[in-house]
Amino acid sequence: MSIDFYWRLPTHGCHSSIHRGSYDRGDWSPPGPHNIAPGFGRDQEEDGFAYIDHLAEIAKAAESVGFLGGLIPSFPNTDDPWVISPLLARETKSFRFMIAFQPGFGNPVHTARATASLQRATGGRTLFNIITGGGGPAQLWWGDSFAHDDRYGRTSEWLDVFRGVWSGEGFSYKGRFYQVDGAGLPALLREEEFPELWFSGSSEAALQVASKHADYYLSWLEPFDQLTDKFAKVKERTAALGGEQKCAVRVDLVARPTEEEAWRDIRIGFENVTDATRNQWRGQATDSVGAARQAALRPTEARRYEDLIVAPNLWGGFNLLRGGPALGIVGSYEQCAARLDELIQRGADGFILAGTPHLEEAWRIGEEVLPLLGRNASSLLQAAE
Amino acid sequence: MTISSYWQIDTAAEPRRAEPSLRPRLPALVRDRRRPSQNRFDYYAQLAQAAAQTGFDGVFLPYRRDADESRIVAAVVARAAPRIVVVPEFPASVGSAVYAAKQATTFQRSTGGRFGWAIAPDADAATRAAEGDDIGDDALHERTDEFLTVARGVHDRRPFTFEGRHFEVKDGGFDAPLNRLPFPKLFLQGEDEEALALSARHADVHLFRAAPAERLAALIARLEGLAAAAGRRVASGLIQPVLVRETEEEARQEAARGAAGEGALVGSFDGVAADLTRLADLGISHFVLSSTPSLEEGYRVGQHLLPRLHSLTGARRAVA
Repeated sequence: MSIDFYWRLPTHGCHSSIHRGSYDRGDWSPPGPHNIAPGFGRDQEEDGFAYIDHLAEIAKAAESVGFLGGLIPSFPNTDDPWVISPLLARETKSFRFMIAFQPGFGNPVHTARATASLQRATGGRTLFNIITGGGGPAQLWWGDSFAHDDRYGRTSEWLDVFRGVWSGEGFSYKGRFYQVDGAGLPALLREEEFPELWFSGSSEAALQVASKHADYYLSWLEPFDQLTDKFAKVKERTAALGGEQKCAVRVDLVARPTEEEAWRDIRIGFENVTDATRNQWRGQATDSVGAARQAALRPTEARRYEDLIVAPNLWGGFNLLRGGPALGIVGSYEQCAARLDELIQRGADGFILAGTPHLEEAWRIGEEVLPLLGRNASSLLQAAE
Repeated sequence: MTISSYWQIDTAAEPRRAEPSLRPRLPALVRDRRRPSQNRFDYYAQLAQAAAQTGFDGVFLPYRRDADESRIVAAVVARAAPRIVVVPEFPASVGSAVYAAKQATTFQRSTGGRFGWAIAPDADAATRAAEGDDIGDDALHERTDEFLTVARGVHDRRPFTFEGRHFEVKDGGFDAPLNRLPFPKLFLQGEDEEALALSARHADVHLFRAAPAERLAALIARLEGLAAAAGRRVASGLIQPVLVRETEEEARQEAARGAAGEGALVGSFDGVAADLTRLADLGISHFVLSSTPSLEEGYRVGQHLLPRLHSLTGARRAVA
């Protein structure tokens, strides 16, 4: 048995330190002497580089230290994973491109053809994190006006068509959202392996689709007992359908040589959080169940960073330091590895890890934390075999 | 008028080239260590590098339903080849216009603005059915119109709201830095009145197919008239296969072997350069040239035809 470890590419710029919330890597902030914004040299004149060159650095770091690949997120103000992946195809060797994708973005037949081409361009290194979308104003920003349960119905049909087109000539389908008559991939493209599907979504409608389609059911980190229940439920549901559901966790780490150093960095980051950031994270409109489960931690109301320690090495204020989920792991290298081992024991089969800054932390976590994994889980893993 | 030249990278042409699995195995005495991941993507990158090295301004990738997807190839070759503009063609049926526009921003940002958009002609009804594209013949132009309105709208304006028959956006539009670079240069096609009218509203370049000079002149005049009425200027381009050799006789011999594409200009370097210059005189400023095998012919055209073309059209400019 082995566990899949992925890294993450920051497609919205990056911070040079967890201490400060400013996006001082990339051109999401105005160019200045304290920013590393590839494309702008020291004198703020164009230097021929672009943010993609920074992403290339991170992808190459991740593959060097042993991550299988990386999640490439897709939000309104990010660069796009469908373009990033082929751009970086030829300068990476083993890095797998996990494209975050909403079915509303593209027609499933066109997307299947593009995916098969990307498989050919990368030697089979494409996979997806299928997201149905948080709903609300963000969904209309994308030009997508489906209601929540309808959106999962569409996701399920989209995946039916995407897979159906791949598996043969003359594929036909009559659904509520998609009707296809005699579709198929050209012969050369049909040879490619169907991409692995990771799937996100916490609502009941989402779990149903996951059971049918997902290779990996992906969740943000939640308090361990809550996550254990969630994974057990998903695995049970899929088993009832005669399948086997793998589960994965998306989690940020602050891993340092000692626990004191790790908490010190959290404390400094927390003390630098501005009121503007707190207000930004307060009460954002969404009908995402996963986001609501995280919001229950209420990090924006905390006065001291210690108020947000929800369990040993678990801190619930990460969304104050950078965009994304609230809960993450903080500790020494050994402690971080032990918490990941514990998650494996509780049903995790894969991880998307991240740390800030993404480049340096890819090296650190790859070199210092990954090698410590399995020490705590080994007895259990052996028992399972 | 400045002439821009594009070399065509056709993913469906020469289908067996650089595709080891489609060719006979090499004899056993030849030690063959190629890996399964070696395929035409290596060739596409070579073609783009060849175009960049031989003086083309860009490469044009037609949309082919039976071969590799043009936008995936475009990103791969853009990273592999410096300087040149990369113009993939794709249909307005690909999906969300917002998403397509957002992909374009990444492409522009990552290449220093070397991306173009060519909208492919719409497919016939049977192909559309096979692609899950539920739209009637009479709505096709309207959809492309809306697709382009939304794509440019979200790039240029925030907030952008649009409610059409095919696309809907509310409080959309990109923030900095996504829209720091301009929207890609837009290429449209088609010879009918609706296509010309669509170009008059949206296109930067309208690409015509090879046609007799009088017909081309009439089409260009009509396009320019419609564009002027819309308060815009649209450049004219031509998708033009060629077959050139040192002498016209060699070119004719080669064409007799079936090497010339449909509607190809066949002749000597000097002769075809003069033909293209006459087309430039009609108002064509963008040439999408093609010939197979693409690598060898691209080198030939880049090395021998383009300098003659630029020299002739440059001389005209100097006189004018």
